[in-house]
Parts: sequence; C-alpha cells; structure tokens
Amino acid sequence: MGLVASRGGKQKKGNVTSEQEEEEQPLQAVLVADSFNRRFFPISKDQPRALLPLGNVAMIDYTLEFLTSTGVQETFVFCCWMSNKIKDHLLKSKWCRPTSPNVVHIITSDLYRSLGDVLRDVDAKNLVRNDFILVYGDVVSNIDVSQALQEHRHRRKVDKNISVMTMVFKESSPGHKSRCEEDDVIVAMDSKSKRVLHYQKTQGLKKLQFPMNIFQHGSDEFEIRHDLLDCHISICSPQVAELFTDNFDYQTRNDFVRGILVNEEILGNQIHLYVTQDGYGARVSNLQMYDSVSSDMVRRWVYPLTPEANFTDQQGQGCTHSRHNVYRGAEVSLGHGSQMEENVLIGRDTSIGANCHISNSVIGNNCTIGDNVVLDRAHMWNNVHISSNVEIHQSVVCDGAVVKEAVRLNKQCVLAYNVVIGPNLSLPEGTVVSMHHPEEEEEDDDDEFLSDDQEVGHSKDKTRQKAFNPAEVGPEGKGYIWKASMNDTEDEELAQCLWGLVLNPDPESDSESEASEESQDRSRSVSPEIDDVNAFQLEVLGTLQRGLEENIVCDNLVLEINSLKYAYNITLKEVMQILTRVVLEYPFQQQGTQLTTLQYTGSLLPLLKTWSPVFKNYIKRAQDHLDCLSAVEELFLEQDTHQTAMVKVLMKMYQLEILEEEAILKWFSTGATNDKSRQLRKNQGLQKFIQWLKEAEDESSEEGE
Amino acid sequence: MPGADKEADLTERIEAFLADLKRGGCGTGPIRGSGETARETTALLRKVTAQARWSSAGDLMEIIRKEGRRMTAAQPSETTVGNMVLRVLKIIREEYARSRGSSEETDQQESLHKLLTSGGLSDENFRQHYVHLKANVIEAINELLTELEGTTDNIAMQALEHIHSNEVIMTVGRSRTVEAFLKDAARKRKFHVIVAECAPFCQGHEMATNLSKASIETTVIADAAIFAVMSRVNKVIIGTQTVLANGGLRAVNGTHTVALAARHHSTPLIVCAPMFKLSPQVVITTVVRNRIILSKVNVHCPVFDYVPPELITLFISNIGGNAPSYIYRLMSELYHPEDHDL
Repeated sequence: MGLVASRGGKQKKGNVTSEQEEEEQPLQAVLVADSFNRRFFPISKDQPRALLPLGNVAMIDYTLEFLTSTGVQETFVFCCWMSNKIKDHLLKSKWCRPTSPNVVHIITSDLYRSLGDVLRDVDAKNLVRNDFILVYGDVVSNIDVSQALQEHRHRRKVDKNISVMTMVFKESSPGHKSRCEEDDVIVAMDSKSKRVLHYQKTQGLKKLQFPMNIFQHGSDEFEIRHDLLDCHISICSPQVAELFTDNFDYQTRNDFVRGILVNEEILGNQIHLYVTQDGYGARVSNLQMYDSVSSDMVRRWVYPLTPEANFTDQQGQGCTHSRHNVYRGAEVSLGHGSQMEENVLIGRDTSIGANCHISNSVIGNNCTIGDNVVLDRAHMWNNVHISSNVEIHQSVVCDGAVVKEAVRLNKQCVLAYNVVIGPNLSLPEGTVVSMHHPEEEEEDDDDEFLSDDQEVGHSKDKTRQKAFNPAEVGPEGKGYIWKASMNDTEDEELAQCLWGLVLNPDPESDSESEASEESQDRSRSVSPEIDDVNAFQLEVLGTLQRGLEENIVCDNLVLEINSLKYAYNITLKEVMQILTRVVLEYPFQQQGTQLTTLQYTGSLLPLLKTWSPVFKNYIKRAQDHLDCLSAVEELFLEQDTHQTAMVKVLMKMYQLEILEEEAILKWFSTGATNDKSRQLRKNQGLQKFIQWLKEAEDESSEEGE
Repeated sequence: MPGADKEADLTERIEAFLADLKRGGCGTGPIRGSGETARETTALLRKVTAQARWSSAGDLMEIIRKEGRRMTAAQPSETTVGNMVLRVLKIIREEYARSRGSSEETDQQESLHKLLTSGGLSDENFRQHYVHLKANVIEAINELLTELEGTTDNIAMQALEHIHSNEVIMTVGRSRTVEAFLKDAARKRKFHVIVAECAPFCQGHEMATNLSKASIETTVIADAAIFAVMSRVNKVIIGTQTVLANGGLRAVNGTHTVALAARHHSTPLIVCAPMFKLSPQVVITTVVRNRIILSKVNVHCPVFDYVPPELITLFISNIGGNAPSYIYRLMSELYHPEDHDL
C-alpha cells in the first residue's frame, strides 16, 4: 500500500507540474499579413495591404502593438503577397529587436491562397501548442482581450475542449461608421453561456431567417444581436488548425464558423463570443473602413495608440498634439494664412503653402503642398506633391503622386503610386488612377484569381507602349483610369469595389429573397415530428440489424446513423435516446416479448459489447451520460417485469466504459422525478450496485492519496 | 562577456519600462500610481548608474539625460518620470562637488551678485575622475528611494493638524495620497467626506467605496452639484497629478471647478502633493482620451485641468505645509537650474 501511495503521489505531482507548464506557456498569436483578396487594388499592387500607412504608421504595426500589449509573447506572421517587403519592414522595426517582449517569426510562402491554407500550414508545422490569437495584419485595436482569454480557458477546462473558438465583438449600434457594411453580421447566441447558435452576414437583407432548431437547445435565454461589430480577433484553441486540415474546403473564417455551427452535433464543437463595450477594434477591409478607422485614430478613440505616442519607436516619427486634434511632426512648415481646422495629422518635413484650408486629413512625411489648397478628409501618404489651387475631398493619394495646378478630386478618388494628374482637371467621383494598366492585370488573372500575388513586372514593356489619355488624366498626366465595373461577373465586381459596396436594396431582389425565405421557412420551421422520430428509430434498428448480420465495422454504423440523423432532422440528444432504446429492446424485437429476464440479459450483454464503440461515439459530455441513463430508466419503467436486468445492463455499460461512475451516481441521487422512478431506485440489486460503486470510488481515492 | 550581458540586460529593462509607460494609465496596461512610477524610475536610474559604462560624472549625466529624454517622451503626461531624472542629476552634481572638496554652501543657490560676476557654472566640466563617486551616487539614490517609500505616510501623518471633528470635507476623483490622508485622520476624528464622482471615468466611486470601507461617512455627488454643495463644506482636500513651477496644478478634470467654487465660498483648498510631483514645467498640454463610440458626434474628453496658484490655500507635502508662493523656492532646492530642460 505504501508503495502504491507513493507512486500515486508522484503521479499527482507530475500532473500538477504539467498543468503549471500549460499555464506558463507563452501566449501565441497567428497574424495573417495577407488579405487574400484584391480589395485594395490597384494600390496593393505596389505595396501589400499590411504595410499601407494609417496615420503614417504601417497597419501591421498597429496589429503587432495590439498583440504585444495584450501579452502575446510569440507571434507568427504569415505573408504571401510581397512577402519580402513585409519581411524587410518587420526586420527593421522594433518588433525584431532582441529586447522585444514579443518574439516575431516570419513565415513566407507563395502557396497560401486563403486563411485556410495558413492554418493548415500552422497545423502541419505544429507551431501552436496552446490557445492562440488569430488576427489579420490590418486590424487596429486597443481591446484588452485578457478577459476573453480567461473566459475561453475556463470554458475549455470545464467542458473538455468543446469550445474551439471565441470571437471578439465590439458593441456598436447599426449605422455607425466604423461598421463595415460587408461585415454586417447578425448573431444568435445563448445569453448565459455566450455560445454562438447562429451566425449570418446580413448583406443588406431586410428579412433574415433562423433555423428553428437553434432555439430548441437546453437554454431558455437567447439573444439575437445586430449591434455587434466583428473585430476579426479570435481566440482559437489548437484544434482550430486541425479542423482546417480535416476540412480542406474551409477557406475563410466564415466557412469555418458556418461549418462548426452546422456540424456542431456531429463533432460536438462550439463557438463562443465575447462582447466588449469599451475599447476599439476594427479591420481595415476596404477604403471606406480605412477612412473611418483613420479618422477615429486621429480623434483618439484608439488611445493609447495615438499618433503622438510614437509606439513604433522610430526615430523622428514623433509629433506634437495640440487643440482640436492637430498633430504636427518635426520640421513642418505652414504658410501664412493657412488653417488647420481640426483632426489633422501632418508628418515630418512636410511644407504647406499659404492660405490653405485643411480639415480631417492625414498628410504623410515629406510632402509639399502649394498655396490655396483645400483638403477635406484627404489621406495623403509620403512624398506627395500638390500644386496650388487644388481641392481634394475624401480621397486617397498614394506615395509619390503628383497633383498639378487647379485639379479637383471629388469624393472617393484614388491616386495610386507615382501617378501624375493635371493640370486643370476635375476627376469625377470614384475615379481610380494607377500606373498599372488595368488590362495587364486581366491577362494573368485567370490562374491566380484569389490572392493578391502575381508578377507584374514582365508585362511592363507592353503597357508602356499604351499612351496615357490626356482627356482622363490631364495634359501632363501619367496613369490609367481603372473603371469600377471592370470585371465580368457580378460577384467579382462586388469584391472589387475599392470603397466598399454601397448597398442599395433593390426592391425586386428583396422580394425574391423574401419569397424564397418564406418557402424555406415553411420547410424548416416545423420541428421534427413524431413520425420522423419513429421512422428514425426503425431505420436505426434496421441499420443495427444489418450491422450484426453483415458484420459491419462500428465506425461505418456511426456514419450511417449520422446521415440518418440529418435525413430526419433529429437532435443529438434524441439520437442517443433512440439508440439506447433500440439496443435495449433488440432482444425483444428478435425473440419476442415473452423472454425471461435471464434470457434477455444473456442476449443483450454481448450486443452491448459489440456496439460499445457506437455508444462511446455519442456519449461524451456529462449531460450525454445523464441522457443515456434516463433513456435506460424509461425503458425499464415500461418493461417492469425485467427491472432486475437493469443492474446487469448498467454494470456492463460501466465495465465497457460507456458510462462513468460519477454519472451513474449523479443519476441515482438526483434523477428521481416521480413515484415510479423512486420505486425503481429501491430495487435491491440497484442499491447494491450503487453501494459497490461508491466503495470502489472511495477505495480508488484512498489509493490516490 | 559579463559586461555585454549586463548592458543587454539593462537595455532590456529600459525597453520594458518604456513600453509600460507608453501603455500606462489606460485600459490595456498595468495601472500604477505616480508614486510607484517614481520609485520604478529611480530604481531604474540606480541600475543605469551601477551598470552603464562611465568614467566621470559628466559621462554619467550624459547617459542619464539621454535615457531621461526617452522616458519622458514615452509618456509626456506623466511628469514624475522627468522629475526623478532631474533629482538624480542633481544628486550627481552634489556628489561630484563633494568629491572635489568644495563645500555644499557654495554650490547652493547663487546670489545675484555671483551670477553677474562669475561666468556661470558651465566652466565646470565634470571631467575629473573620482574613485568613490559611483558608490556615493548610488548611496544618495538609495536615500532618495527611502524618501519616496515614505512620502504617503509622511503626508498622512499631518492629517490630524488639518482635519477637525465634525468637519465636512470635499474631495474630487481618486487620489491615493488623499485617501491615506483621510483614513489617517479617521482613526481619531469623526468627519464627513463628499466625493465628486469625476465623470466619465468615475474614479470618485472607487474613492468613496474605499473611504466607506474605512468607516468614514461618505457621500458621492455628481460633478454638476459641486457648486451647490460647496456652501456646506468646511475644507476642500484634493490630490494632483503635477505641481507646476508657478504653484499651479495640473490635476484631474473638474478640479478647476472645485477650486473656483471653493474660492467663491471662501473655503480653504488644501492640496496633498508629495515632493516628487513638483515639476519645473510651466506649459500645459491637454491629454484627451476617448472611450464611448458614437458616430457623427465629436466627443472631447480632456483629462487634466490647470488650476492657477491663486486658488490654492496650502500645499501639504511630505516635508510639511507650504504656501503656493513658496513652491519656486522648493523647486530650486530640488532641481538644478541647468537641468530644467533635459
């Protein structure tokens, strides 16, 4: 006994240290520095999206600062499109200094085509050991996720790895400008457990449908929320990477979430959500979002990530902050009579001429701006030259662009890298000008359609020959106009629109979708009828019979039962109850109801042994155990002549490790609801069995000490 | 090489401290009191003195100035960091002068006549090497640390001289020093405290809970009610973020309102401020933080108020009570005039 005791002690100690190790393992993060779409085309042709400046700081720096401040100690940055540029940037930044608290590993590959590929690679390389944070390289946030992380870990401890992901949402009312219209989601969740029951993008629809079965689960409080903003920050358990490997058709997180929710009952995985009220989190997914995140940043919503904080620790990046949110970098010169009204950020070495009027704008480093210029909601990056008498409204002007005299840029114009415009020209709303010819991109478009990456260089000679159109870009202009509706298919047009899609609900399509919804409603909203359950029961019986006759492997039986479950729309709980019932009634089915108790148990026990893998597949959580037990109880209440057999069945199931002793004890002590079941529990055999279980437990616990 | 190791360790410590400072005071970082920041800064500067490579006082001052500039730039609103750097610089000057053998009196404040006749202090170049300088400087910094440890207690000890039985006292927001001050007085006297909540961050709520736990009769009022309630108040006791060179304050938003209301009702205004909060700065920068997200509405949320010295009756620091007009004198004792801008 002494020997056993000491060994037990040692084992316990071992467990404790491994737990501690788990606690102490560094928090890891996976940062995907590629968008896998071309929303920022043609800007992202020259610079990957993660490096585009927002408030004169590359977007990826915001993401890394966010991760570091939440205590991430190891970050894997995955890059694909223009990976060299990202790598160079990171190696020069403070994140790769030896003193950085957050170790950054850069992993590049041209083969990534989607988030799915990245996570499959994470799984293949076995990079993550514990829960990790998954973000894109264009997320700007100051949310403290440690609370969410704690909740996530707690859930995983309580329900053995059932929760695989916790998504972070921020509360913000519909219509808020930092809500991205394409990302507008509606979420149904369980208010108590914060479990996601349904997740759907609204896509401008007026009517939405929810499958009824989500409301038939255990909980009695639900929330359907439309006031949530997806921050694109998710806390994932290592299983997420495995699940992506198992389901090679998952491309995006959206696929994943949908897949998990649909297959929840088969795989038993759940997704939870964390809603924060303060803090800021948004993903710069299109230029509309770029505009609003940038202005929020200048208005200090993302404190402490403010422009004057210079959190990237770069030399000469610092600036001063004065009233009305005017920020000035070093060596800024401002001409006589120029006004900086409010929310203006000016980078270092920029000079501004006389009588300019600037409001709500961000101006990069080393820019020159002439006299009498009006800038409103303009985003100008580095080394931009603006001549006199120019007017710019809500537009993006990229590095090295030149705007000549008396040009007017109306709303939502984009001047990509090194474009020259003017003089004396007014660009209509939504014009996109780039040095890359639009066709050059279409030529090699076919094979690489999803990612940003493609070689641009080789077709340059060809495009050089095509002349610039002076009517479009002005007499001295250089650049090609990109038409918004350039792509053939409608889908791609939606995905291409640089400023984000403007959803104008078109009445025809609306009614159409309504109609289809209604028809679906009718078919879906009806909960599984009794007929279905009966039919399902018969089918399960048939399956098991066949399994016995043809000696089919239990795994295949499980598959068959799963598919039946879908065909009849049966919940997991019911599947288990029916399965238990069918198995227990099996001897009666085969040999008639006049069996003696002895005969009954004699034929049942081998069957239980054969089908134990099937049971084990369905009985996992504590609740499952109780459900199974109550099904057993129900059956024996009906067959009251055979009540003595119940003990043997329970004993067998316990021995086969289908049921756990804790569950049986719990069922025995709490499960009695009416007289009959109380009567049942007074059965001598059962009492003895319980007694025996309790003693066994005591003994084992003694041994443990 | 152990030396290189040490230096790497030192830079790592400094970087970590800078990062902490940058995130400090907001939701994402560890929130610390200014006393803690002061102690950490001083401890870090002691480490710099002990581990960096320097041969003369001039070198050391240069190193400390360089690090000090970075630290103050990391969180401009936290003046304590800069103050501590200045204190350490002053210590080095004094120790150097002592090693050179000149008496402390001559190094004290120059008289007007001396300033005119001598060519200023700049001819002193701090280049001479003294064996014991390092040990002496570290010793002096240790003394400074001990002083910092005891500041709150020293201030709290004076509470009974200022708070009498059955008084009504108003305070605003939360200050650790004021909290300790009131709690100390509550051991012997019974009085009533009114706390202005200081929306939107509502630090006042926390203050009120802490005070009521110490069984002090406490009332929380909205900021708008400050003037209305002031007529009942016998004394206003507040904390501050910084004491400026002219005797003014940079304190939590709402303090100016309280000070004006107190002046209107001729209520004495007492400021509890440890010496490390004295800053040679005069300029005011407003810090704005935003929390609530609204669209189409601009929200301004300034964090600090400037309170002019005329409105203040008395400063209570760890070395005793002083009038605002005396602050300049304290300032010149604490910091060397040549160091005022780093």
